[in-house]
Amino acid sequence: MPNRRQLLKFFAALSVANLGRGLVSQPAAARVIPWKNWSGSQSCIPSARLAPASLAELQQLVAESVGPIRPVGAGHSFSPLVPTDGKIISLARLSGLVSHDPDGLRATFQAGTQMSAMGDPLHDVGQALINMPDIDEQVIAGAIATGTHGTGANIGGLPSFVTGLEIVNADGELIQCDADNNPEIFEAARLSLGALGIVTKVQMQNTQPYRSRRESWILDWEDTLAQADQLADKHRNFEFYYIPFSERCFLSTHDITEEDKFSTPVSDGNESVQDLKMIRDYLSWSDTLRGLPIKAIAATMDKEVVVEASWLNYASERNVRFNEMEYHLPREQGLAALREVRQVLEQDHKAVFFPLEVRYVKSDDVWLSPFYQRDSMSIAVHRFYSEDYRPFFNAVEPIFRKYGGRPHWGKVNSVTGAEFAQMYPRWQEFVEIRQQLDPNAKFLNPYLTSLFGTSA
Amino acid sequence: MLYIRTPLLLIFLTLLFACTGDSEPIRQPSEPTNPADARVAELYNRSCRSCHAQGAGRAPRTGDSNAWAPRLQKGPTVLLAHTIDGFNGMPPMGMCFDCNEDDFTALISYMSGG
Repeated sequence: MPNRRQLLKFFAALSVANLGRGLVSQPAAARVIPWKNWSGSQSCIPSARLAPASLAELQQLVAESVGPIRPVGAGHSFSPLVPTDGKIISLARLSGLVSHDPDGLRATFQAGTQMSAMGDPLHDVGQALINMPDIDEQVIAGAIATGTHGTGANIGGLPSFVTGLEIVNADGELIQCDADNNPEIFEAARLSLGALGIVTKVQMQNTQPYRSRRESWILDWEDTLAQADQLADKHRNFEFYYIPFSERCFLSTHDITEEDKFSTPVSDGNESVQDLKMIRDYLSWSDTLRGLPIKAIAATMDKEVVVEASWLNYASERNVRFNEMEYHLPREQGLAALREVRQVLEQDHKAVFFPLEVRYVKSDDVWLSPFYQRDSMSIAVHRFYSEDYRPFFNAVEPIFRKYGGRPHWGKVNSVTGAEFAQMYPRWQEFVEIRQQLDPNAKFLNPYLTSLFGTSA
Repeated sequence: MLYIRTPLLLIFLTLLFACTGDSEPIRQPSEPTNPADARVAELYNRSCRSCHAQGAGRAPRTGDSNAWAPRLQKGPTVLLAHTIDGFNGMPPMGMCFDCNEDDFTALISYMSGG
């Protein structure tokens, strides 16, 4: 029987044999190019898509624009933070390490720096990020603007590590802010949805470089839930995924180690998700059968161990695109909510094949942080990018809300401005500072206008 | 029916999973030199390279004519549309939010060895 690669070669050979025309020698007619996010679920036709080459160019651009202007990072948000008929500004050309403080272990990056490009230069100056998300394609400004986080019951989200910011305000002027300079602006700007101005530099509190030991293994659902809180407290980082219809969870921990780098064979997350899709496609008519191959494969999996530099051990490439909803719940409520989400998925939304993702995050004091003064458990649900996410997300969102959940700012949710105001004690202060910095609502799109109650 | 279908499916799935292993080493073409055009080079390095240099997520590797052949066979219009709208693992606009149509065409041409 031919294997997958041999089949691909066969089809590729057929294709090559039929090649008759030149390679992209005749470009299509000019077209209007919309902006779309990573999954394609958010889109717009902006009046311009711009990437200034310098801070001065950016300042002039903002000063001369009437608005609306929306900054865009890597396009990894699933909530409508970017769509506008005004200008979209990418800071992709403003990236890299700017300076570092070896004594205080702090470093300043240009705002357009991808998180995947931060580890190397930080290592060179004797620093490392305290924690990282499981996707590192985001640019640092977008990551902090949406409250991006990793996992760790004793580690806050990324905005809690921010110690200083540089912002271009609506007049094109620079604002420097930190705990001592413009402290109220700083508190608001640590997580701002890009609604105060355009963040151009970010200073982060870091730590000394460290190596992490990542262990991953499979465990039964009930055993996982019984051990989850203990594992979260015991390990520096702990997360787990429930694989639908399998009664099995995939658990992962990180701890700091002095061991030499090494790795056992590890599974490919993208291949695994594709396999789960295939199992769904062929076996969705039987819940029991659907779980069998997953259990069979899980039974053969040994514990995976990877010892690597921290910044190479947190994130993994996510090449299977999806849409996502994630809520941050009071930690003590999380597992009860998770049980209900699983029940809804397996009873009424059998087309879902992405695992449920569970992480822990420590409370912080950032005004609009979903972790504001609350240790949290984060539960995320996903749907394949080309499949309608709304029925499933609409079904589980009331569960998250019932347990007091706050949504991830960059992910699908239906929370209104009035409801956010009830969730966040410092909401009104943020709104007032936003109004002071941007009285003409230059940085608001329709979604943000609906949240902050300001006419653009 | 179930009793017949069940073992057949299990066998089928077993075969499918068995087919996922590669039996031959993959001969990786070396990455070509940077584009001569400075703008194309800058766009490639900040938007395309992270996936297309190593073939992450089944992206066709830069300079790998075999990998690009079936894509190019679809024609430039389809390939450009897939680049702009996204296709399978390829995100819309290939994460280049300031690229115009000519930029995308030049990047495709460079990566495909055209």
